[in-house]
Amino acid sequence: MAVARGALLKYLRVNVSPLPQNPSASSNGLFQLTFNAIRRRFSEEVRGSFLDKSEVTDRVISVVKNFQKVDPSKVSPNAHFQNDLGLDSLDAVEIVMALEEEFGFEIPDNEADKINSINLAVDFIASHPQAK
Amino acid sequence: MMNIRCFQNNFSAASFPLVPVQLPSRMETHLWYVLPNEVKSMSLLSQYSELLSPCEKEDINCIRGDDLRKRALLARALVRTTIARYQINNQVNPSSLKFRKNAHGKPEVEWQDDDNLCPVPLHFNLSHTSSMIACGVTMNVAIGIDIEEKQRQLKNNVLAFSRRYFSPYEVKILTAISDPEIQHQEFIKLWTLKEAYVKALGRGFSGLPFKTFTIRSKPATTGSFNLSEDFVSKASEIIVESSDDPENLTNEWQFALLELAGSHYAAICMEKDKTVGGEANTPMKLTVWKTIPFIEDECVSGTDAVVAIGGLIKQ
Repeated sequence: MAVARGALLKYLRVNVSPLPQNPSASSNGLFQLTFNAIRRRFSEEVRGSFLDKSEVTDRVISVVKNFQKVDPSKVSPNAHFQNDLGLDSLDAVEIVMALEEEFGFEIPDNEADKINSINLAVDFIASHPQAK
Repeated sequence: MMNIRCFQNNFSAASFPLVPVQLPSRMETHLWYVLPNEVKSMSLLSQYSELLSPCEKEDINCIRGDDLRKRALLARALVRTTIARYQINNQVNPSSLKFRKNAHGKPEVEWQDDDNLCPVPLHFNLSHTSSMIACGVTMNVAIGIDIEEKQRQLKNNVLAFSRRYFSPYEVKILTAISDPEIQHQEFIKLWTLKEAYVKALGRGFSGLPFKTFTIRSKPATTGSFNLSEDFVSKASEIIVESSDDPENLTNEWQFALLELAGSHYAAICMEKDKTVGGEANTPMKLTVWKTIPFIEDECVSGTDAVVAIGGLIKQ
C-alpha cells in the first residue's frame, strides 16, 4: 500500500500553497491537518473517477441496442457480440468506436477486438478512470 | 437414395465422398465458398454436425439463434471438408482433423502423427458474413482472407471511422473521393484488405493496429513478366507499407481483391514463397469453387462469380 501510494505521489501533482500563519496551532497539528486534507483529496479523486458498474452496463447496453443490425431483444448483459448478436469484426470495432464516443475516452486499438461481449466492455470501461 | 443415417461416422464420408483436389501449387490460392441460403436440408446439416469434434459441437450449442448456429456449423464443416479433400495419398475423414489456435487465436490444422494423415503444409483461413462463408487454402505459405457484403451498412461515418482507425495516407485517399457511394465501396475494400493482412500475419486486429500500416495500389512494373490475356485485373499491384519500417513489408505479401458472387468483396493476402526466384511480381494464381460439401462443387474461376478488381491475379 505504501509502495502504491509512493508511486501515485510520484506521478500526481498537487498544488501546494503556503499555509496561512496561525499562531495558535502548534506546527505539528498544522502539518497533521494539511497531510490529512491532501490524503482525503487523493482518495476522492481516485474513487470518484471510476464509474459505477451498473450505470456502465445500462449505457453500454443502450449503445449496442442502437446498432441497426442488432436485435434489441437479444441484448442482455451476458450477450456475446459474435455468438449471440451475430456481429462480425467490423461491427465489433464500430461498437468500440461508439463506446469511445459515449464514454469520452480512447480504447486502445490493441484492446479493441478483445472486447467482444457486453460483459467485457463493461469490465473494461468500469476499470478505467478516464471513462466519463 | 441411400439413407445416410444408417451409417456411422466412418462411413458417411464414403457414402458421399468429397471430390479430391490437387494441392495448390506455389503462389496459388484456392478459395472455397458456400452460401448458407442454399443449404436447407436438415439431414445435410446433421451430416455436417457429425463431422465436428465434441468441443466444436458444444461451442455451437452455446450460440443463440438458428441462423447463427447454422452459420457456425457451416463454417466448421467447410473447413473440415475442404482440408480433407487435399489428402492425395489417403482418404481422410474430415471428422478426424484436429485444430489448434496460435498465440493470437488464429486457427490452424494440428497434424497428427498418424498412419492415416500425411502431414501436409496446408494453410487455411476462414471468413464469413451472414450470407457467405469462405475458406482460402495455400501450400507452404501463410494466408489471410476477409469477405464483406458490398452493401453492408456502417454505423459510423466513413471518414470519422477511417480517421480513427486507418493510416493518414488511407484517410487522404478516402477523403478525396467525392461520391459517397464510391467512397463507401472503397472503404469496404480497404477494410477487407487490411483484415486479410492481419489475419495472414496471424495477429488479428488487436495484434497489429490498423493505423500502423498502409495498403494501397501501385501500378505494376512489367519487369520480365509478359502481360497476357489471362490478366483480368487492371494490372495494378496492391502493396502494404509499415508506418515504422517502409522497406520491410512490401516484398513479403501479395494481395488480391475480388468481387464474389456479385454480392461480396473478398480480399486475399498471401505470403510470397521465397523459393520462387526473380524480381518480377508473379501474379497470384487463383482457383475458386462454390461448394455445398458432399453435394456439389462448381469451379467458378473465370466466370461472372469471380471478378478481379485489384492485385495481380491469374485465374
